[in-house]
Amino acid sequence: MAVEDARDPVAAAARTARRQPALWLPLLGATVLALIAAVAWLQWRQSSLMSLAMLSGGDNLVRSLYQADYEYLRLRQVWPQAPGAVATEVDLDALQLRYDIYVSRIGLLRNAARANAIGSRADVRAALREADAFIAAADRVLGSGRRPADRGELLGLQAALLALEAPMRGLTLGAGEVVSESGTRLAAAGRLHNRLGIAATLLLAALAAVFAAFALRQLARERDRSEQLEDLAAALKAARTAAEQASAAKSSFLANMSHEIRTPFMGLQGMLRLLGDTSLDERQARYLRIASASARHLLTLLDDILDASRLEAGQMTIEAVPMDLSTLLSDIEALMRPVAEGKGLRLGIEVHPKLPAHVLADPTRLRQVLFNLMSNAIKFTERGSVRLLVHPLDGAAPAAHESPQPWCFTVADTGIGIDAGTQARLFQRFSQGDDSRSRRFGGTGLGLEISRALARRMGGDITVSSVPGEGSRFTFRVPLALPHDPDTGMAASVGASAAQRPPPRLRVLVAEDNEVNRLVLDAMLSGLGQQAAFAVDGNQAVELAASQDWDIVLMDLHMPELDGLSAARAIRALPERRRAAVPIVALTADVFPETRERCSAAGIVDFLTKPVDPGELAASLARRGTAWADSDWQEQPVAG
Amino acid sequence: MGAARIGLNPAQADQPMKLNRRQIFATGSLALLGSMPAGALDRPASAVVLSVRGKVSRSNDGDAVQFDMPMLERLGQRSLTTRTPWYDGPRKFTGPLLRDVLQAAGAQGTTIRAAALNDYKVDIPVADAQRFDVVMARLIDDQPIPVRAKGPLFIIYPFDDRAELRVPQYFSRCAWQLRTLEIL
Repeated sequence: MAVEDARDPVAAAARTARRQPALWLPLLGATVLALIAAVAWLQWRQSSLMSLAMLSGGDNLVRSLYQADYEYLRLRQVWPQAPGAVATEVDLDALQLRYDIYVSRIGLLRNAARANAIGSRADVRAALREADAFIAAADRVLGSGRRPADRGELLGLQAALLALEAPMRGLTLGAGEVVSESGTRLAAAGRLHNRLGIAATLLLAALAAVFAAFALRQLARERDRSEQLEDLAAALKAARTAAEQASAAKSSFLANMSHEIRTPFMGLQGMLRLLGDTSLDERQARYLRIASASARHLLTLLDDILDASRLEAGQMTIEAVPMDLSTLLSDIEALMRPVAEGKGLRLGIEVHPKLPAHVLADPTRLRQVLFNLMSNAIKFTERGSVRLLVHPLDGAAPAAHESPQPWCFTVADTGIGIDAGTQARLFQRFSQGDDSRSRRFGGTGLGLEISRALARRMGGDITVSSVPGEGSRFTFRVPLALPHDPDTGMAASVGASAAQRPPPRLRVLVAEDNEVNRLVLDAMLSGLGQQAAFAVDGNQAVELAASQDWDIVLMDLHMPELDGLSAARAIRALPERRRAAVPIVALTADVFPETRERCSAAGIVDFLTKPVDPGELAASLARRGTAWADSDWQEQPVAG
Repeated sequence: MGAARIGLNPAQADQPMKLNRRQIFATGSLALLGSMPAGALDRPASAVVLSVRGKVSRSNDGDAVQFDMPMLERLGQRSLTTRTPWYDGPRKFTGPLLRDVLQAAGAQGTTIRAAALNDYKVDIPVADAQRFDVVMARLIDDQPIPVRAKGPLFIIYPFDDRAELRVPQYFSRCAWQLRTLEIL
């Protein structure tokens, strides 16, 4: 439900995003461009104003006006004022210099007047005209290359020089007006400039406000969106937690169910077996065979479901222990040949000569995968052959070093084949190719899924190639590492090593709370030539173990009052060494590896899974009880 | 300054051949001064057009160095064609480089106060004369510059070569009708 609810905010966010037209973007761009243009124009205008001020600076007009008047006065100072001899050379040089400076000043003033508004003033024009008239007259005496002959020539010009005073003074007075005029003009320009600047600033502020509004809106929208995402994430997390909890609950339920189903199974299979030992007519024997096969099928189903559940929950651990590949292959052949030949099929196992005899792998899981592939091949092949080919990947000869080498176990049959569409669904749960196959051949449909999941957990994979009507090839690829020391710690091949020597008569104590199972075990042990004593719970088992000598104790783990593990610990804690050290073998419907670890920790030496197979029981008795019975303890005096 | 330090060092008399770096530098400076035309300069033969006074190491008239036009002409001449605020279009200015004039006068200050015939005064950093090829123009378009046309001497910066010079600060340093350089 949480996931359903969470879908809405996402859709809403997507709708919001779609609803936003990009219309404002070009509008905004145009505004920004316009503003930039306006500012650029303002800058240009300011710079031209500045250059105007600069041009009129330097040799500015006002200074020219004052300087002209000033130089006029200095010229008057050195001009001879009384008749007399010709002036000395020095005086004449000074006069000539002041005159030339005055002329240069009038020239500058003329240029300035031409370039300026002041040139249109009548008084300035008149002053320049009179000054020019004086210079024209004076140049006849003081012009370049000329020298005045006597003072008279200079005195003759004195009246004209003095007459210049009023116009020159007028220039100085006019300067003030020029200053105020140009000041007014500049002030007007400055005012305009200021107004434009303020306008630009206002525009800029408005634009900034618009941007801010946009930013705030975006921010709010982002916040909404992130809130929606957070809600979604929380919902997903909750959903995930719920799913994980559901998965854990399912696993735990399966484990419990497995245990609960296995317990009555023990009784069912045991009784069927016992029934088989009685004298039956042909029809009864046939019914019994069918019942036994059904029971076995049911057990396989149970194992498959449990495996699939544990693979899915990631609880399946793959071991890497030293194991004997050739033993495994001969076990497979021994199990499969009768089935294949019973259907009239040829069975062949071809092994590459370089296959190492000993490898590091998980023998149980390797066997499970190969068994599944071989069973399938035989099941879906009506005539012809089923072959198991063991070869290196891509035919490459494996190097003899410790890094894992990829090997292939290819199961090739001449069966009905699988079309491409079916191949795609082949490894999916409860898929058996197609419905017709399923109806025809039966099975859990979990086998291939489990096999491939196991192959992948081992670092390999299973692939299939097939031509409908001609047969199929399933290739199980798996990396195999060489053990560091192939001669030690070899895992015993399950079942095959069961020593078939009948165990000697032992003193057997069985702790089992289930009455049916007590009956089954009693019958089984009798069949093995044993006479067993029974305890109905853990406390009774500890009492019996403390009060009598036993060669072996078979301990059910799930019992009322005191469970098997606690009872085992209590026995190990007995004061008498021999009785405390008696071999204890666990009997349990619990098939989880953790249970085995807990058993080892409690001092349990062997582990039998319900429903117990008589062969396995005999092997365990032989392994544990006999060794114990033969040990030195036998010779020691029994205490108490 | 360096020379004074040498004199103040009492160890110097005992080890005349062992000079430290500072002493070598000081000696080099003295040698540089020594390489310049020694003693009194020629007195100007014609009318004085430029007076250099203030911190000058040489003189030919009291504490000042006086130049007439031929003396300036004998210094290396440099021609510079540039646009200016005072003329329409580019004009050719010819005259000695300002730094050559300063060297000829043995100027040792950091600032030149240039004064014109009309009492215009402007301060020019001596560094300007080192950084830029500032010309003290005595010819414009190969003709002498009369007083009436901002002559006879006109300080001109190479405005066309250096954009950073085309600002009022440097325009104002171009004293025309130049008459006196006071070294500060």
